[in-house]
Amino acid sequence: MARVKLTDVTKTYDDVTAVNNMNLDLKDGEFITLVGPSGCGKSTTLETIAGLTKPTSGEILIGDREVTNLPPKDRGIAMVFQNIALFPHMDVYDNISFGLRLRDYPKEEVDERVEEAARFVELDGMLNRMPDEMSGGQRQRVAIARSIVREPDVFLMDEPLANLDAKLRVNMRTELQRLHKQLDTTIIYVTHNQAEAMTLSDRIAVLNTGELQQIASPLECYNQPNNRFVAGFIGSPSMNFAMSTVGEGRLETGGFDVDFDIAAVDGVGTGDRVEMGIRPEDIYLTENSEDALDPSDPIGVETDVLEPMGDQIFVYLKPLTAHDDTGMGEAEQREGLLMSVDPDTDIAEDQSVEVVFDRGQMHLFDADTGDALSHGVVKGTAATTESGEDSAQVD
Amino acid sequence: MSIDAQTHEDAETFDDRDDEESKSPIKQWADDWIRNPEKAYAVMLVFMGGVLLTTTLFPLYWLFAVAMAEPGQSNIPLIPNQIDLSAFIVIFQQVPFARFMFNSLFYATSVTVIVLLVASLAGYAFGRLDFRGKMPLLFSLLVLSFFPPATLFIPLFRAFNQQVPMLGVFTLPVELYRTPGAVIAPISAFAMPLAIFILTTFYSQIPDGLEDAARIEGTTRFGALFRVIVPLSAPGVATAGILTFITTYVEFFFSFLMTGDRASDWAPIVNGVLAFQTRYTTRYDLQAAASLVAIIPVAILVVVAQEKIISGLTQGALKE
Amino acid sequence: MATEQGHTGESGGLIARAGTWTENLSEQAYAYLLLTPGFLILLLMAFWPLGSAFRMSFFADQVVGTGRLGGFAGLENYVRLLTDTNALAPATFLDPSFQVPLLEQALFMTLLFAILSVVGETILGFLYAMLMKAEYRGRRAVRVLIIIPWAIPIVIQGMIFFLMFRPGYGLLTDPLQSIGLFSSLPLNTTFDGFVIVTVADVWKTSAFMALLILAGLESVNQDLYNVADVMGASRWQRFRYITFPLVFPVLMVAMLFRTMGALRVYGIIESTGVGCTTVPSMTCLVTQFMFGSSALYGSAAAASVLIAVVVGLFISVYLVFIKMSNQDLDLA
Repeated sequence: MARVKLTDVTKTYDDVTAVNNMNLDLKDGEFITLVGPSGCGKSTTLETIAGLTKPTSGEILIGDREVTNLPPKDRGIAMVFQNIALFPHMDVYDNISFGLRLRDYPKEEVDERVEEAARFVELDGMLNRMPDEMSGGQRQRVAIARSIVREPDVFLMDEPLANLDAKLRVNMRTELQRLHKQLDTTIIYVTHNQAEAMTLSDRIAVLNTGELQQIASPLECYNQPNNRFVAGFIGSPSMNFAMSTVGEGRLETGGFDVDFDIAAVDGVGTGDRVEMGIRPEDIYLTENSEDALDPSDPIGVETDVLEPMGDQIFVYLKPLTAHDDTGMGEAEQREGLLMSVDPDTDIAEDQSVEVVFDRGQMHLFDADTGDALSHGVVKGTAATTESGEDSAQVD
Repeated sequence: MSIDAQTHEDAETFDDRDDEESKSPIKQWADDWIRNPEKAYAVMLVFMGGVLLTTTLFPLYWLFAVAMAEPGQSNIPLIPNQIDLSAFIVIFQQVPFARFMFNSLFYATSVTVIVLLVASLAGYAFGRLDFRGKMPLLFSLLVLSFFPPATLFIPLFRAFNQQVPMLGVFTLPVELYRTPGAVIAPISAFAMPLAIFILTTFYSQIPDGLEDAARIEGTTRFGALFRVIVPLSAPGVATAGILTFITTYVEFFFSFLMTGDRASDWAPIVNGVLAFQTRYTTRYDLQAAASLVAIIPVAILVVVAQEKIISGLTQGALKE
Repeated sequence: MATEQGHTGESGGLIARAGTWTENLSEQAYAYLLLTPGFLILLLMAFWPLGSAFRMSFFADQVVGTGRLGGFAGLENYVRLLTDTNALAPATFLDPSFQVPLLEQALFMTLLFAILSVVGETILGFLYAMLMKAEYRGRRAVRVLIIIPWAIPIVIQGMIFFLMFRPGYGLLTDPLQSIGLFSSLPLNTTFDGFVIVTVADVWKTSAFMALLILAGLESVNQDLYNVADVMGASRWQRFRYITFPLVFPVLMVAMLFRTMGALRVYGIIESTGVGCTTVPSMTCLVTQFMFGSSALYGSAAAASVLIAVVVGLFISVYLVFIKMSNQDLDLA
């Protein structure tokens, strides 16, 4: 068990910077998830920790050892791969014991450890099977057994569930949680699936274009995203965004206006351009406005398409009016909103309705940099990024 | 193939007829085939197979017929007058034929081992690593195969036999000529490009994850090559190995010209077969018998490994 | 973790230590390290000889004394070869005035041999491949029998055909002579010898061709045939629209390989007893220059460079053709 520390790690290939100045400090026993869209550098980061790729610059510590230039075999790590990567020419026993045999462990100890690991992943009795005789889930268990049998300091998992079918993925997710609980080992987990990131991790590191966007607990990433990218990436369905201009006591977007107290947000003046963000669940029909912490004035919209999901209904909304004085492109003006409502709500397509925004859950981002300006835009409860905890106290 | 060319529409129109009894047997036969192209195909296959196998096997059979003939007999009959296997024993008594065969097999084995080992390293580099100069180096291997062995032979002969300095820098010891080295080294070089091409294709197909997994589990990059990549490329390694072995075994140029004539001089089977030719008489029956014996090792190899060769070639060797 | 630390390294041996050292090489350096042994052998046994032969081809022949080179002669060796003005030449490479019969000019003889043998091998090889592909009992045995000629040493291959055509001995001499196809001494007649050598080569190398084509046939996705069956394609249509186009690239590669081999033909000519004096191939010329009554290294080297030029030209034609036909296939 060990902490893992990355200091200024950069990895460039010919002309592409895959990882840029990454700083991570992971506590011993922590389950941390690197999440981001494909090509964001999360896998490269993992590979530099594993030693499969040498960083162009920067330093990596595992435990108290500097491992930047050590080969993978000497780093005390184990890794589970997306394509599972079982050796097809070896049976389950040989796969699991591969690392132990390379290190010349006595035969009895190898047997004992392999059996223990197999029991842990509930594969006892299958040690003589070949990988191609097993199901995808079983294979992934073998891969996990192979990684735990050496009792490594750190587990690295590179999208281990990505190749499994949906049902199996949920099962394996629970198993990984159990694994972490029982082994209490540092786990670094890479995924582009934010549901996995939210449910498994102690902390999430959100990456984009090779740079760390935010590292925080899943809830904090959800409620107080550092910037527009994190806000859009975390949460499903994604947050609604609208470019807007700060007017007198209101935000003017292409399709609608939201009243807000300009004094509640530091550093924003009339006429500034900001990007407003609001999650689908923070938009309410006017008749349900009492559910919102701090409802805005009603906004007239028209319903477009309904997507009943069973536990909720996703409602696509079109703004009724479009201002021409916003200076925005036509596409932006037409951009609709997504609202989620209770499944028993009486609502139909192509219907004029009035909605309110929960201003306590509204986010403002700098129009140019995308940095978060405020989470919640209500006086007294408004919070800037620096004092982000405040808006969580609202409820 | 003409019968196969019938389209299904034709077949259907024939199906509609019902006055079968009025037709002659030949016509019925033809109709049957037209309606069941599979049957026609099977007959064609058997016929074609028979013809082809006869042409393949006849020369070998002819060798056998000659081996059965009496010494000095002319006009060898198609069917031997006698089955006399004594020639197969005489060849080992008259000349050290076993030694000739050993020499050839020794060359083939050594070249195969060297080529597989060295080409594995190169194939790994070409197939799995990115480096500057990769394409020019691969291209240089292709260009090598433009040249006939004869081109390489002149300078090599001078280097091995006349001590012309290699690369203009160093001379080879005079003792090297007429040793296995003088045969193995050039043939290895000649067989290497193809082996590198085959192994490159196979090694590049092994998923990166497997190599990464092996390295995480505790091998070095080098260890991963021989513990994971080579075993997983077994069909490709087998194909490259067998091709190299057979190429060397049947090779004529270097093994004949770089050695002496005697078995103890590391002369190959070529000389063994020619040894029955003296200035005055030639024992064709013995030559034929010796030839048949010399084919046995490679024939066994083909029997054992034919599936490997075919699957190896199918899986990758030709995908470039 | 204590146990993990207790067992370090694979075995601590020299190889393991070398392996660890390679771990810290960059990808580039590691690649060069791995290529070193192979290219060292190639440098000494292939690249240096090639360069050396190329250089030798510009030096005059030294008639007296063995194994020597004369002074620098520029392109003279080439000019002499290409104009048939080398008095010491054992055979003609190319006679621009075409006084010498085509089959006695090494260039045309070899080209004709290459074309005929490769065409023959391709047709036979395709038939063999179909036979090896079809499913029936005993297929394994048939496959083995088809492949075996390929594994037969060239000398023995030559021996077989020598024994078949030796006058007064071989089975085929008299019948072929009586129908007027061959002369009484087929092994000593240029045309007859040419035919014998070609047949012998086709017999042996069709097997190799068949192997390559079979590999191509096997790698065709079998589902395509099911699709074709559903669409009601006949067996011929299946061949015409699925098998042939998909195997075509492999066929081209196989033909390329074989053409390269055929243009360098030598062993089979000597071993059938036909001999280089009767059927002078280009490689024959090289060896005769070298091992003839006087060793003419300059001319030998020039001839071998000319072979490489011819092979290179053929390969370029193939590559252009493959490229063009690929475009055609895309359009179809």
